[in-house]
Amino acid sequence: MEIYRNACPRNCFASCSMLSYVNNGEIIKVSGDPKHGFNQGRLCAKGYAFTQYVYNPYRLKYPIMQSPRGSGNWKRITWDKAYSIIIDKILELNVRYGSNLACGYNKFSGNLGLLHYAVEGMFNSFGPHTKPVGNPCLISGEQAIKSSFGQTVSLMPEKMVDANLIVIWGANPAVTNVHQMKFIFKARQKGAKLVVIDPIFTQTAAKADIYIQVNPGTDGLLAHAIAKILIDSSLYDQEFIDNQTTNWIEYRQYVSTEVNITEVSQETGVSIEGINELAHLYSLSKPCATWIGFGIQRNKNGRENISAINTLAALAGTLQKGKGGVYYAHNGLEDFPANLLNHQGPKHSNINTSREININKFAEEAIKLSEPPLKFLWIASRNPLSQDHDFKKWELLFHELELIVTVDLFMTRTAELSDIVLPATTHFEDPDLIISYWHQWLSYNEQAIPAYFESKSDLQIARDLTKKLNECSPNFSNFPHELEPIDWIEREITPSIKELYSLKSYKQLLDGPHLRNEEKHSEGSSSMNFHFVIPNKIASSSEASTNVIEDQDSNPFKLITPQSLLRIHSQYGTLSWLSSEKDEAIVELSEYAAEKYWISEGEKVEVYNQNGRIAATAKINRYLPKKVILVNQVGKNPINQVIVHEENSNIGKSSANFYDSSVNIRKWRD
Amino acid sequence: MVKQMGFVFNIDLCIGCKACEIACRNENQTVSAVKWRKVSKLTDDTYLSISCNHCSSPECFRVCPENAFTKRGDGIVQINSNLCTGCGLCISACPFGVPQYDPELHKVSKCQMCYPRQDKGFLPACIEACSTGAIGMENLDNFCSREAVSTIPGFPDSRLTNPSIVFYPAKKRKRYFLN
Ligand code: SF4
Ligand code: SF4
Ligand code: SF4
Repeated sequence: MEIYRNACPRNCFASCSMLSYVNNGEIIKVSGDPKHGFNQGRLCAKGYAFTQYVYNPYRLKYPIMQSPRGSGNWKRITWDKAYSIIIDKILELNVRYGSNLACGYNKFSGNLGLLHYAVEGMFNSFGPHTKPVGNPCLISGEQAIKSSFGQTVSLMPEKMVDANLIVIWGANPAVTNVHQMKFIFKARQKGAKLVVIDPIFTQTAAKADIYIQVNPGTDGLLAHAIAKILIDSSLYDQEFIDNQTTNWIEYRQYVSTEVNITEVSQETGVSIEGINELAHLYSLSKPCATWIGFGIQRNKNGRENISAINTLAALAGTLQKGKGGVYYAHNGLEDFPANLLNHQGPKHSNINTSREININKFAEEAIKLSEPPLKFLWIASRNPLSQDHDFKKWELLFHELELIVTVDLFMTRTAELSDIVLPATTHFEDPDLIISYWHQWLSYNEQAIPAYFESKSDLQIARDLTKKLNECSPNFSNFPHELEPIDWIEREITPSIKELYSLKSYKQLLDGPHLRNEEKHSEGSSSMNFHFVIPNKIASSSEASTNVIEDQDSNPFKLITPQSLLRIHSQYGTLSWLSSEKDEAIVELSEYAAEKYWISEGEKVEVYNQNGRIAATAKINRYLPKKVILVNQVGKNPINQVIVHEENSNIGKSSANFYDSSVNIRKWRD
Repeated sequence: MVKQMGFVFNIDLCIGCKACEIACRNENQTVSAVKWRKVSKLTDDTYLSISCNHCSSPECFRVCPENAFTKRGDGIVQINSNLCTGCGLCISACPFGVPQYDPELHKVSKCQMCYPRQDKGFLPACIEACSTGAIGMENLDNFCSREAVSTIPGFPDSRLTNPSIVFYPAKKRKRYFLN
C-alpha cells in the first residue's frame, strides 16, 4: 500500500491536507494529515467520503455530446472529436467576427487548486475574449475591511484559542468550518465565552454560551448600539482612538445623534438586556476575537454591517496588540504569481483588452453583448444553472449560444443543458497546490492514482486543446502547452514564496504543508489607521422588524439559503454515504408561518415569487424568525430559481446578494 | 488483563458534524445500508453519536443461536461474520439498534471498536476523526469522573445490558431569542 499526500480543493475554509491510501492504483481510504496545523489529522464528513466520490457510479467517464441540446440524447465521443468541434467553432467565430470576443467562459470555485486557473490561462492565450470579473462571494466584506483598516487583515485562525471572548457574527462553523470549532472549544475550556449572533439558531448557536438572535440584515445596527454604550460609559480604548483613527469625532457625533438604543432593540429584535450584556462582554473580555461571517454580506446592507462590526471591534480595543482582532478571511492567493490566471495572451491588432462582464450578472450582461454577441461558452468548476441566480436570463443566454461546453465530474444541471460535457479528474488524479482563504497553510496535492477512465484536469484539457488549435491555426494560442503540471507548480514557488513559507523547493511540501510566516495584523501595527465608516442613514430593514405578516404582503418571507452539512452548494449530491440528506429541497418555516398558512410538517409546499417556483418539503423550525424561511441548496431543483441579484448601485462591486430575495409559500397544488 | 474499554461522550463538544460516522465508513468501507456509527439529534441543541456500546451483559451475545458473538479480554464485543446466518435475532435484541443487516452479504455486522486498529496502537477511526474531542475511550473498569454520568435523557434504557459508554452532560446556555 502506498500513501500519498493530497489536499482538498473544495470551496471550504479548511483546505485540508489529507493522506490517501492506495492499493493497486485504487484509493482504499483517506485520512487527515497530522502535519497540517489547522485540520490536525482530521477531515470533515465530506472529506471522509472521498472514496465514494472518486469511484462514484454517476461519475462521468468519457466526453459526451447531446443533440439537440437538452434532449438527454447523449452519445459518447472521443476527445479528438470533442476538440475538433470546439476548435472549429472557435476558429469559425474568429473568422465571422474578426476576434475571439464571441468566446467566453464562466468559472468559479468548484476547485480551488492553483492549476485550475488553466481555464483562465487558456482563454487568455487566445488574446481578447469575454471573461467574468468580480466575485459572488467575498467582495463586499473585503471592501468593508479595506475601508475600515486601509488594508486586508488576516489573522491565524489557530490563535482564536487565546481569546477570552469569541463573538461570531453570522457564521456557522459547526457546519461550514468544523475544524475551527476545536480552537473555539479549547478557548472555552480556558474560560472564554462564545457568543453567536445570527438570525438563525444554527448548530453553532446551539453550542454558544450566549446566543443572540437578530433580524436578518440588522447586525450593523446592533454593532453601533453596542458601540454607543461603550462610548457613553467611557469603556472604549482611548489610546487607540487618539493614535490610530482618522475620524473619531465624526463617528461619536453620529452615534450620539443617530443611534437610539430603544429603536435599535426594536429593529434588530434584540432585547435591551441582550444589547447591554454584549456591551459588557466587549468592554471586559480581552483578548476578544470578532469573527465576521460570510453570511452577513449576502444582502444589500452587507458592507455597512461589516464596517459597523469593525468599528465595534476597534472601539472595544480588540485591535490592540494582544487584545484580539477581527477574523474575516485570508487572501492567500495575493502572494502568488498565479501564472496561469495572469498568463498574457497575444495582442490583437485593434482590440486592446478582453471584454469583462460582472460575474454576479453574468447571464444578464452576456445576453446584452453585441458586436459580437457571445456565441461560445465554456463552463468549468461551476454549476451556474443550480448555483447562480436569475435563471430566466440564463435560459435566454443559452438560447443565444451556439456551443456550450461544460467540464465537470458529474451530470450537473448545467451539464444537462450543455452541448458537450468533458469529464474532469478529482484532486487525487493530478498534482496541484492549495492555499486557503481562512488559514495560512500551503499544501501540495500529489497525484495518487491514474485519471479515472478518460477524465482530464482543466490544465490537461487546456494543454491538449491549445496544442491542437495551433495545429489547425498556427499561433492562434500562446499557451505553453509543453509545460507539465509540475512546471507550473515550480513557477508558483518563487523566491519570495520560498521565503514566506520557509521552503527550499516545492518538494518539501511532499513531507507536509508549510505555514506562512508573516501575519498581516490589524493589531498593533502603528502604520494602521482605522477609519470609521459612517452610514448615510441607519440601514434599516423595517420589513423585518414588524414581526407579523400582513395580508397585503405579497412576498412576506425573507429567503435564506445556508450551506448544508453534507454538501458544498450542489456538490456531493450523489454520494450514498452522505445521502441522509436527500437531494431534495426542504423549506424550514416558523411555527407562526406554518399556522398562518395551514402547513404541517412534512407537507409538500411551493416556494414562489415573480421569478419562479420550486417544490419543497416543509419542516417546522420553532426558532426561526416569523418572516424568514430557510431553503437548502440542492443540485437539481435549486432554490436559486427564485433569486435575482440586485446590485446596490451606490457602492460599486458587491458580493451576490443571495439573501435579499423575498418569497411566498403555499400548499402544493398539482 | 481483563478490562472494559468503552466510549466517553461529551455532549457539549459534539457539533453533529458526522465526521465520526463517515470516518467509520471510510475505515470499514461499509455499504450504504450499513451504519456502524450514527449521529443523531438528541434535543434542539445537542447531538448524540453512538456505535456499539460493547455492553457488559450484551444481549446480542445472549440471543445469537450461532454463538457468533465473543467478548474479548478488553471488553470489545465482536461478531464473527463466518458464523452469522443473518437471522436478525441480535438486531431485535439490542436496545440500541446497533447490529446492522447487510443486504448484500445477508449477514449482520457492527462496530468492533476498530480492534484491528487498536491492536496496532491506533485509536478507533471515529475517535481519531472527531475534531472537537467529543468522543473518547477509556477503560471503564477504573474510569472515574465526578462530572460523568452513565446515561442521559434520550439514550435508551441501559439497565438490561449495561453499555460501556459514559456521558458528560450538556451545560445550560443563555439565549436571547427575537423579541
Ligand atoms: S465527529 Fe465528533 S463532533 Fe462530529 S458528530 Fe461525531 S462526535 Fe460529534
Ligand atoms: S450495544 Fe447492542 S450490539 Fe453492542 S454489545 Fe450491546 S447489545 Fe450487543
Ligand atoms: S470504533 Fe471503529 S467500527 Fe466502531 S464506530 Fe468507531 S470507527 Fe466505526
